[in-house]
Parts: sequence; structure tokens; C-alpha cells
Amino acid sequence: MESEEIKIGVYVCHCGINIGSTVDVEQVRDSVSELPNVSISRDFKYMCSDPGQALIRKDIEERGLNRVVVAACSPRMHEPTFRKTIQQAGLNPYCVEIANIREQCSWVHEDKADATDKAVKLVCSAVAKASLLEPLEEKEVEIAPRALVIGAGIAGIQASLDIADAGFQVYLVEREPSIGGHMAQLDKTFPTLDCSACIMTPKMVEVERHPNIELLTYSKVIEVGGYIGNFNVKVKKKPRYINMDRCTGCGLCAEACRLKGRITSEFDVGMGKRSASYIPFPYAVPSKYTIDAEHCLFLTKGKCGKSPACKDACTADAVEFEQKEEIVELDIGTIVVATGFDLFDATEKPEYGYGLYDNVLSGLEFERLVSSSGPTQGKIAIGGKDPKDVVFVQCVGSRDKSVGNEYCSRVCCMYTAKQAYLIHEKLPDARLTIFYIDIRAFGKGFEEFYDRVREEGVRYIRGNVSEIIKKGDRLLVMAEDTLLGEPIDVEADLVVLATGIVPRADVRELMNLLKISQSPDGFLLEAHPKLRPVDTASDGIYIAGCCQGPKDIPDTVAQAKGAASSAMTKMSQGKVKVEAIIASVDPFICRGCGRCVEACEYGAPELQEAEPGILVSEVNDSLCKGCGACAVACPCRAISMKHFKNEQIFSQIEAVI
Amino acid sequence: MSLEEIIKDTKAYYCLGCGVCTSSCPVARVIPSFSPRLLVEKALFGFGDEIISDKDLWSCLICGRCASRCPSGVDYLNFVREMRMEALSKGKEGLLAHDGILNTIMELQSLNLKQDRNFWITDDLEVADAGEYFYFVGCLPYFDLVFGEGGLCDVGIRSIERARNTVRILNKIGIKPVVSNNERCCGHDLLWNGDLEGFKRLAELNLKTIKESGAKKVICVCPEGYVTLKRDYPRFLGEQDIEVIQLCQILADELREGKLKFLENASVDYKKVTFHDPCSLGRIAEIYEEPREIISSIPGIELVEMERNRVDAVCCGTSGWVNCSGCSKKIQTERLKEAEETGADALITACPKCEIHLNCAKYNADLKIRIKDITDLVAESLA
Repeated sequence: MESEEIKIGVYVCHCGINIGSTVDVEQVRDSVSELPNVSISRDFKYMCSDPGQALIRKDIEERGLNRVVVAACSPRMHEPTFRKTIQQAGLNPYCVEIANIREQCSWVHEDKADATDKAVKLVCSAVAKASLLEPLEEKEVEIAPRALVIGAGIAGIQASLDIADAGFQVYLVEREPSIGGHMAQLDKTFPTLDCSACIMTPKMVEVERHPNIELLTYSKVIEVGGYIGNFNVKVKKKPRYINMDRCTGCGLCAEACRLKGRITSEFDVGMGKRSASYIPFPYAVPSKYTIDAEHCLFLTKGKCGKSPACKDACTADAVEFEQKEEIVELDIGTIVVATGFDLFDATEKPEYGYGLYDNVLSGLEFERLVSSSGPTQGKIAIGGKDPKDVVFVQCVGSRDKSVGNEYCSRVCCMYTAKQAYLIHEKLPDARLTIFYIDIRAFGKGFEEFYDRVREEGVRYIRGNVSEIIKKGDRLLVMAEDTLLGEPIDVEADLVVLATGIVPRADVRELMNLLKISQSPDGFLLEAHPKLRPVDTASDGIYIAGCCQGPKDIPDTVAQAKGAASSAMTKMSQGKVKVEAIIASVDPFICRGCGRCVEACEYGAPELQEAEPGILVSEVNDSLCKGCGACAVACPCRAISMKHFKNEQIFSQIEAVI
Repeated sequence: MSLEEIIKDTKAYYCLGCGVCTSSCPVARVIPSFSPRLLVEKALFGFGDEIISDKDLWSCLICGRCASRCPSGVDYLNFVREMRMEALSKGKEGLLAHDGILNTIMELQSLNLKQDRNFWITDDLEVADAGEYFYFVGCLPYFDLVFGEGGLCDVGIRSIERARNTVRILNKIGIKPVVSNNERCCGHDLLWNGDLEGFKRLAELNLKTIKESGAKKVICVCPEGYVTLKRDYPRFLGEQDIEVIQLCQILADELREGKLKFLENASVDYKKVTFHDPCSLGRIAEIYEEPREIISSIPGIELVEMERNRVDAVCCGTSGWVNCSGCSKKIQTERLKEAEETGADALITACPKCEIHLNCAKYNADLKIRIKDITDLVAESLA
């Protein structure tokens, strides 16, 4: 290879007028034609089109080119395209170099002469590197046909079912005692008013019965190592203190529990009470009890009367206080993250009196209040009386820079409309008022539902609420009617805040675990906002549902199916090519200082004892993502990045200056 | 600044038109034609001339209630300030209260002026010409002329005693502060009434005086002086090598360390009190808990809260000595009634202007609640 004469073809793209209108493409073509090693330079309207690619292949075959420079858009866009193009013509795919004269030139400059000058320099730089490019080998690794799904709300449930139906083994991990997530807490769903539990339970039961799904509830993923195809995952199973095989779900333990009715129910978001031995909700899956170690008298104080009441009550001998936490190790091919969201904490808006006044509720609290499985069996009573005036406040914690959430939560407009409808059904005489900034009824059937709610007499006032204060037994809700330009105060017996969706409080922990990132809004970041919405920057890890951003149930299910499909595609292929652009260590120069090990996010370099007492860094090819952090950290240049070697980068810099 | 620059500087273009500002605005609640939302929308439509010709531009209290709640992050306070600068440059100004005497005093101080502002220092007070701490006295020596005994508008204010009490407290905790006869008005009101140049002249004179004293720490009692020195001096004159502290912060620290002791049964006059958060101390400086800690620590006093407290507290009704009106009176009266509804026998405040304005509202009105300044209360309760 070293003795081979370098022959470079340069191809300058007009990208229609995207590049052509700001950069004199012909001039660029001519300016680089005489550079060392360049044997041909051409321009073309769309290099990425079939005829554009054919032009490159033809030149490789006829002129014996062995390096190619394409001056076009960002390499993130079409580098894979041109790698394939030259591979088809028999070259190593890594013998192409892209000069980005669109995003980094034509799109960001206005002066044509200056832009053209910069484009020439960028191409010269790419030609300089192309002369030094080396062919690289892509390794293949096997993909284990097993998926890990983290989170068992509707997203995780749907993804698990799809993957399992395709014949792959699924491990579904849920930290709560039951699967179901937030959707299980909802009463009815907009805009069709299907009962949430009715449409969800069949899926929950299917998960439990599916031969390809292993359900790990009350469990948490605590460690993820490895890489696509071969993730090594550790899951911590918290002790339930109930034998899952013996428990019949009869509930005698909860009845007998000395703390019955004294512990706040998480599922009812504080609206109801439970025992220390509990099942979160009647249709929980698995339908087994859990003893809550944080409250149980026996587990916290070592004593519960003369003997634990639950143990005495259980006729199946299922109570096992001796249970210990368990670590399960799994070999996983692909991972779907479906960890959901937290509800915005309305105490961050003290002007609304949430947490201060009992009759100011969050959206989710109202769901539990109105739900037939809720603490009041769906009866809406405030201080024992039917509320006569109910006010809904939109955009609580959404579209609000004062609490750091710029985004729209996408569900509150419609859930508020639905909640107003549910009150109207139960209390037809109640006067219902909704304060809003804009109504975003964008989904299928949403605008029609918004109409239907107004037909029922719900009053919409454009203007958001500034504050809620107490007025006798009632509340005074203050706002400006911005259409009339007048302050308006509405008295209410009940105020429901349309609390928005925020990232999980422990999202950073998850990010560190999986080596994935978040977008500025705090939700998990997809690989591309439009074209790779379920992928992450880490190969083999996919995201679905509200962990990626606020969305309603139909969108969540669609995204879950997308993430499942991506995971299945990889597992069906059985093998995957791993990154060829990786770090390599010169063992002679390496001093074994370990700075590369500290710098690496992925655990790729490791110090090995080459000779007794002599440590040398070795990079695990499969773990390396080619980010270059180790090469920067290395004090003696023992590490070089393939495809970004020092001499390659210096040649590029020299060509520009 | 052009209208476009003001919009850009204050991010007015983010306005969603939700009306939370107008609904939060104590003035808009009284004068329906006054609307922060509409002022911003007029600007966005290019009606700058209409805004600067509107006398209600000067009715804004700079209380920050709107801005603290604005979901869009519009910097409404600076929007008003910059609009007032434009208005001032066209010869327009607000309706000056007290015949403009206070505004004149402020302007005079920005010029080459010989003052006798330290006349109040009595022999029992330990003060210095140079040292680590600088006590920024602010307007106190001037207020009594207008609001004190025999003043033009006597509402029973004893500001000079406040200055003495401050030094007494500082002496008690071992601080012998610099008090300078060269000190000037802090410039807060000139700045927020749109006179940036006058503000800068005052600020430069004050910074020179403080630096010449060798002080590194400036103690402010007036919350407006505090935010002006702490926030606005660096903003308009560059970073300064001085630490600005509000008295409540020092006192709360001393209390926590057990160094500040109150008399047993210190408070005979006041059994149950409520605290009125001054806008600058609360919403602007976000000092909410320190004054409460101090009040609650005084033996014999119970602190109760008004419905609207801390970030939701309501302004004392007028600011910058402009556009004081029946609207101000209504805001003040409602605030005092709110305080009375708590069952408190006194409203404690921490701002000399709040004290003046709320006392003024009691004049010839059926409002029983007493108004007491926190500094005076502390000084009278010290062991």
C-alpha cells in the first residue's frame, strides 16, 4: 500500500442552490485540480444522486483513483453514502474524505467571494488528508438475541410485546411493584374517553403470560457494561418479603397489617392510603403483594405486636421476612429505554397555592380522584360537598421559563378538556372554567373533542392565571381575560392545575449508566430529531415514550413500536459491524500512566502488565467509540486515533493556513 | 435606545400574551387601562411613541411581581426603565410627588455639593472615617425633612433615629462602621425613572467615597440601596471590589452563631406581628427568610404570615416618588387590611419607603395596625 501512487478524485457538489448560490463551485473545482496527487476534479449538481455516485465509480474504474474527496454537505449526512459508493467500486470505504462546504460554508456565509475562498481552503485541507488516508478494517460482532426493556409503562410494555412476539427474549425491568406506569393511574383517555385500565389490562396480562418475557418488577438496572450485541447488565431485585409463587393476591395480609390506612399510597399520589403490605392497585401485574420495607413495623423496628400480623393472616405461608436483595446478571443484545416522566411539582409555583390549599389539585391527583379505582371510587367531593365551581389552569410548569421549562407538555390541553368533560358527566350543574394561553389540539380527533367540551358549556377564557388566594371557604382565581383586556377573578371550590411533564428526577443517573445524553430540555436525546428519533448516540440503545420528551399515549405507543423495531432489526441481523475509527496504542511509547483509562467514558482502555512491573494501555476495539478523549489525555502521544492521526490532522491544518 | 433595541434587550419578543403580568400587577387591578401586557404588545407592534406619551408609563411600581411570574422571561422591569429613558429624552416625566422635593434632592446630590449629612451622629455612636465596613446610610438624613416632625408631609417618620439604631446594632456586634459625609443618594430612583446619566454620576461619587475609606464591605439597610449597589453598580459601572451586604443578612448570621442576644421578654409593645416583604428585599434580592428568622427570635413575639407573602407579596403602592395617586392608596389600604386580617398588632417592614408609604395610607383612615421597622425593633430588643 505504501508504495502505491496516490490518485485523488475531487467531486464538488452544488447541492442545487444550497451551495451553488453562495460558492462558485466551478472556481473551487478548478482551484484544486492542480494540487499534488489530484488526478481529476469535477463538479455536479447533486453528488449524492445516483448519477453523481456513478460518476465517482466510473472514474475509480477508468482512472484508477484510490482516494476520493467529496466537497458537499456535512459528513454526518452523506459520509456513509460515499463510503458505500467507493466500496462498490472496489476501494476501502475509509478512503473517502468529505469537505463540508455547506453547513460550514455556504449556509453560514453571505459574501460569495469569501465563501468561495473558504470552500477552496476546506477542499485543499480534505485533499491533504486524503493523501494520508489509510484503509481500515471493520470488525463484526455477534448480537445476543435478547433485549432489555427498562421501564414498564405503556411504552415499555408495548416495546416488550413487539420484541417478544418477534421471537426474541425480553427482560422487562420495572422499579415499582407493578407494571403499568402512569397510564395505569389515568381514569379515561382523551379524545375517545376509553377507560385507561380497560385498554391497558389486556396488555399487562399479556406481558405476564408471554413465554418470551421475563418480568423483573421491584427491580432496578444498576450496571450496564459492554456494547451493542453484548451488553453485560446487572439488575438489583429488591426483596418483596412475599414469596411470589405462594402469594395468591388475596389481600388478607394488607387487611391484617397494623399500619392499614396509615401509609400514603404512591399510586394514588397522596390521595389515598394503604397498608405496609400492599398491592398498588386492584389490577396490578403481577397480582402479588409487596411489603414496604420503609414503613413495615417488623422491618423497621424489628417488632410488630407479638408477631407480624400479615404473617399470621396469610393462609398461603407467603410472608418471608428473611428475603434478601438479589443481583441478576444478564447478557443483552439491545436495550430499549422507556423510563417515562415525572409530573411537574406545582409547589414551584407558590402563587397557585398548591400544597397550601387542599382544594388545589395537580392533574394526576384529579385523575385519581375521578377514577372509579381511586380513593373515593370516583366521587368528586370537596369537604364533603359537590363542587359548584371548578377552575382548570393550563400550562402549569410548561411553556414557562420562570421554572426552566420552555417546552409544551403536549398532553395538558387535552387532558384538561377531558377532565372538564368527566366533571360535567358526574356533576352536570357544576360551572367549569378553563384558563389557557393557546389550545393545542393537534392530534387525531383532538379538535373535535375540544368542540365537544365547549358544546357541553365549559367556559374557556384566554389568559393564564396569575395567582390563587383563599376567599372564605373558597378560592379566588385571578387572571386577565386577554381577549377583553380586563382582569377577571373567578371563585372556585376546586382548582385543577394542568401540571406538565418533566424529566425523571434521576435522569442523570440513567444517563451515566447507559452513556447516553440529554437534550437542553432535560429529556433523553435522540440521535437525530427527525430521521433517527428512537436511536441514541450509543449503538444498540433505543428510547421510547416520555423519557425522550412529552407525548400522549398514541405517540408513545408508536414510538415504542419504532424502538422495538430498531432493536429487532439489529437482533435479526445477528451481527453488527463495529466502529473502525478507534484508538490504537503504541505499546513502545505508552508509559502506563492510566490517564487514558480515566478519560474514557466507555471503559475501552485498560492497563495490562506487559512485563513484570511494566504497565501498558490496551484498547478494547469493541468498546471504543472513537471519540479521541484518550488520545488527548495521553501525555506522550502513545495513542493515535485511526482516521484522525496527528499527521493527518496537521496536514489538514497546514493546507488551510 | 431604539424600540427594536429595547425589544431585543428585554426579550419582549418572547411574550405569549398570557396576561399573567397584567393579572399580577397591583396597578392594573386598580386602573384597568394600565396593562403591562398591552405595553409590551404595543412595543411589538411598533407603537413606541404611544407608550412614551402615556402617563401610565410612570405608574409601574417596578415591584417585579409580573416579571417574577412571566412564563416567557420578558425582562419587564428593564423594559419600563428603557422606555422611561426614551420618554425622558423627549422631555416627558411622571407626576412628581411632594412637589418633586425628593427628586430634586437626588439630582442635587449628583452635582458638586457640600452636604452636612452626618449631623445626626451623637457621642454614644462609634463611627470611623476609614475601616473595613462602610455603613451606607442612604436617604435617611433627608426623609425626616419631609415626613418627620414638622415636615411637609408629616406621617410620623423618625428616619434619623433609624440611622442611629443601625450604628448601635453594628457597634453591639463589634463593628465600628465608616459613615461618610461625602456619601450621596444611591441613584435607585434616578435609574428606574430613566435618568441613567444622573444615576451614573451618583454611583461614581459613591464608589469613590467607599474606596477612599478603604472599606471592602458595604452594609446597606435600605433594600433599594442594597440592590442598587449590589446589582446595578456592577452592571452599569463594571465589577467592583466590594462586598455589599444587607443588615438582615449580618443579623441572621450573628443569630445563628448565637452572638446576637435579645432581652428576655424584649417585646412588650408587639405580641403578634406580620412581615411585609419589601419588593427590593424580597422578589429582587430574594432575601425572604433572614428577616423572618430575626423577628421570630425576639422573645415574646409571634410572627404570622399574610396571605400574599414572600415572592407573592404586594408592593407598598408607589415608587420613585412619581405617580403617587388614589391607586397607590388603594393598594396600600388593601395591604394594610390584609395585615390586619392576620390578627397582628403590627406590620414589620424592612424598607424606609414602605414605612413612609404605608404610614401615609393610615392618615385619616380607619386602619389600626401599627407599622414598625425591623431595624428599630431589633435595636430596641437587644440585650
